[in-house]
Amino acid sequence: MSTPSFAADQGLASCHTCGRLSPATDHHCRRCGAKLHLRKPNSLARTVALLLASIALYVPAMSLPVMNVSGIGSEDGGTIISGVITFWEMGSYPVAIIIFTASVIIPVLKIVALAWLCLAATGKVGGTGHRLALTYHVTEIVGRWSMIDVFVVAILVCLVRLGTLMTITPGPAALSFASVVILTMLAAMSFDPRLLWDRQRRTS
Amino acid sequence: MRLIQHHPGLPWPRLQRDEKVACEFCDAVQSAPRLREGEAAFCVHCGELLYQNRPNSLSRATGFSIAALIFMGMAHSFPFLSMSAAGNRNELTLIGCVEALAADDAPLLACLCLIFTVIAPLLLTTALLYLCGPLMIGRALPGAKQVARALQASEPWSMLEVFLLGFIVSLMKLGDVAEIQFHIGLAALVAVVVSIAGATGGIDRRELWDRLELANAR
Ligand SMILES: [Zn+2]
Ligand SMILES: [Zn+2]
Repeated sequence: MSTPSFAADQGLASCHTCGRLSPATDHHCRRCGAKLHLRKPNSLARTVALLLASIALYVPAMSLPVMNVSGIGSEDGGTIISGVITFWEMGSYPVAIIIFTASVIIPVLKIVALAWLCLAATGKVGGTGHRLALTYHVTEIVGRWSMIDVFVVAILVCLVRLGTLMTITPGPAALSFASVVILTMLAAMSFDPRLLWDRQRRTS
Repeated sequence: MRLIQHHPGLPWPRLQRDEKVACEFCDAVQSAPRLREGEAAFCVHCGELLYQNRPNSLSRATGFSIAALIFMGMAHSFPFLSMSAAGNRNELTLIGCVEALAADDAPLLACLCLIFTVIAPLLLTTALLYLCGPLMIGRALPGAKQVARALQASEPWSMLEVFLLGFIVSLMKLGDVAEIQFHIGLAALVAVVVSIAGATGGIDRRELWDRLELANAR
């Protein structure tokens, strides 16, 4: 197949919202009214900034208690990890595995993958366009599922209000963790995958 | 002057026959073929999906969003489950979760919960209905562009399916410490998740914008 032509080279901007091609000299898309850009503005800087913020918030999300369980004479605030360990020891493997995946594996892998994509877009690390595009898709699809943990806290807080016997209240880590998920979702949205192909075109 | 005709029953119309599209992933410009229902177009350069022609897109999106709204009403009217232990009886609803978080000094968390499980799904389905219903007769209601943009903005934040998985995990966590009774609200919640998936997957974004452009041009 012959090498295709690229919209940016022809001075055409494809709208981020509706996908219509317009001359880049237009400021707003004629079809949907969204602002036009050849590439998402400051894509890499924004993505990196959001990633750094999410890494910073991941620390309290893991080290502070995610929910407080108060019962007769005892008060216990467990972190996400201590919860996973408790359920593993109790033999509730599915719960332990789901929570560990949603709260540790997915956010960490997502942050690493997005950082890798940013490096690839600046040419610091290699990788074929197809593999990098696949990485991008996976981070986009899987990221939202990390929110499970936050919903589990919300549901338990709503259900377990048994007065002095046992009451569950949300811990500070729940909000930190929700922020981590939101920030990584925003980071994935502000990353422009076209930068990966731009890089490949310039190097080949 | 080209005569623009709109037949609601025909496959996805395009404004110009020679319209070009650029791939959202690699920016390669290519011609946009007219697709038969059920077909999809992929980028010639990187192989990513460009757009697809979903079968009966408008009626599907309209039908599923009406269903989603009805089930949403049910999911809010009936609890998902009730738990009895030590003389206390607590019921689980979406609004109940938000209220419990707010009552326990977690107002931000309560707001996030409200956005993810109530506001975003509601905005998503009403926007889709507002757009796709009138488009079935080739019309666009006032403010359709803004509504379509709100629809796209709310999509990633509608997390009822994640809430449902969280619900299953919570059940496993509670184990057999308490007496649990399921209610009709739970079935409604599952139906909402299925309907929203059917509604949003029912119509391609590019098709929606093409149809809106055509309806606005009338
Ligand atoms: Zn546009
Ligand atoms: Zn492409």
